[in-house]
Amino acid sequence: MKSLISLTAIVLAMATSTALAHDEDALETAPPGAPYVQVSDVLPLPEFLPGLGTLFVDAETLPTGPFLAYDHDGRLSATVYMTPLQALEDGTAFDNLDVGSHTVTSVDIYYNAGHPGVAEPHAHVVLYHDVDAKGRLAQ
Amino acid sequence: MRLTRRTVLVFGGGAIATLATASQALARQVEVIEMRGSPRGEQIWFSPHGLAVTAGTVVRFVNRDPGNSHTATAYHPDFFGRERRIPAAATPWGSGFLLPDESYEVTLDAPGVYDFYCIPHEMAAMVGRIVVGRPSDAGWEGPSSDASDIEPEALAALPSVSSILVRHRVE
Repeated sequence: MKSLISLTAIVLAMATSTALAHDEDALETAPPGAPYVQVSDVLPLPEFLPGLGTLFVDAETLPTGPFLAYDHDGRLSATVYMTPLQALEDGTAFDNLDVGSHTVTSVDIYYNAGHPGVAEPHAHVVLYHDVDAKGRLAQ
Repeated sequence: MRLTRRTVLVFGGGAIATLATASQALARQVEVIEMRGSPRGEQIWFSPHGLAVTAGTVVRFVNRDPGNSHTATAYHPDFFGRERRIPAAATPWGSGFLLPDESYEVTLDAPGVYDFYCIPHEMAAMVGRIVVGRPSDAGWEGPSSDASDIEPEALAALPSVSSILVRHRVE
């Protein structure tokens, strides 16, 4: 019986954890709240990055992310991952990453030479959450 | 207000000093090196990344990359313990992180070769070289031959001194 209770508790804890990780309502508008921090508050980067918007990230997930990308009105527009190329070449896999929203209308993947926070060359994987998102994040 | 001779002398002296400072500033040549990047950050670079100037020139670094921050940091032990790649007589400089449209100025007086880099982008070979004066100048110090503390890609990206002296600006 004891083991059954323990198992139930573990399953419940996992379910709660999963729900929090994908609580779309909580992430829909900026700021998303803890554990996310605004990237420009902790790194020397502009508050709004052309093409990526205003980024928030849980520092525990660096460098990969997810980075939550908000437009000028604070609307979640994309989820961004930054995967160092050398780590990929070395065999590192980035699995089971969280997403900011379960609605994804398109994905862009492109090379980035580096920036504060992720200095090594890496790939940006950008999941847009609506068809107009890319335009709103452009400038 | 009645001005005494002493007041006039003090004021006059201050004005002359101010004028002299302004005159010196006006006399100094200013060269601009821009920090640039492609819209998605695939490429980043100093423009120009090779520059020839005369001693006493003010070099102004300006970040023209709207999506990134950059630094102009001299290779010198004062900054992260790097091997020196500027003249021994020169004062090392580090701009710190410059956000878009921010700038930083440094006056280069000692003749010789100055190598510098961008802290977050050195791995992407965002480096530059400034040549102050000519090899015939007194005290001129040529490029560092030490390759132990610089990535081969960054070293290869530095223009040769001769090409800088011939072209003055190397893009």
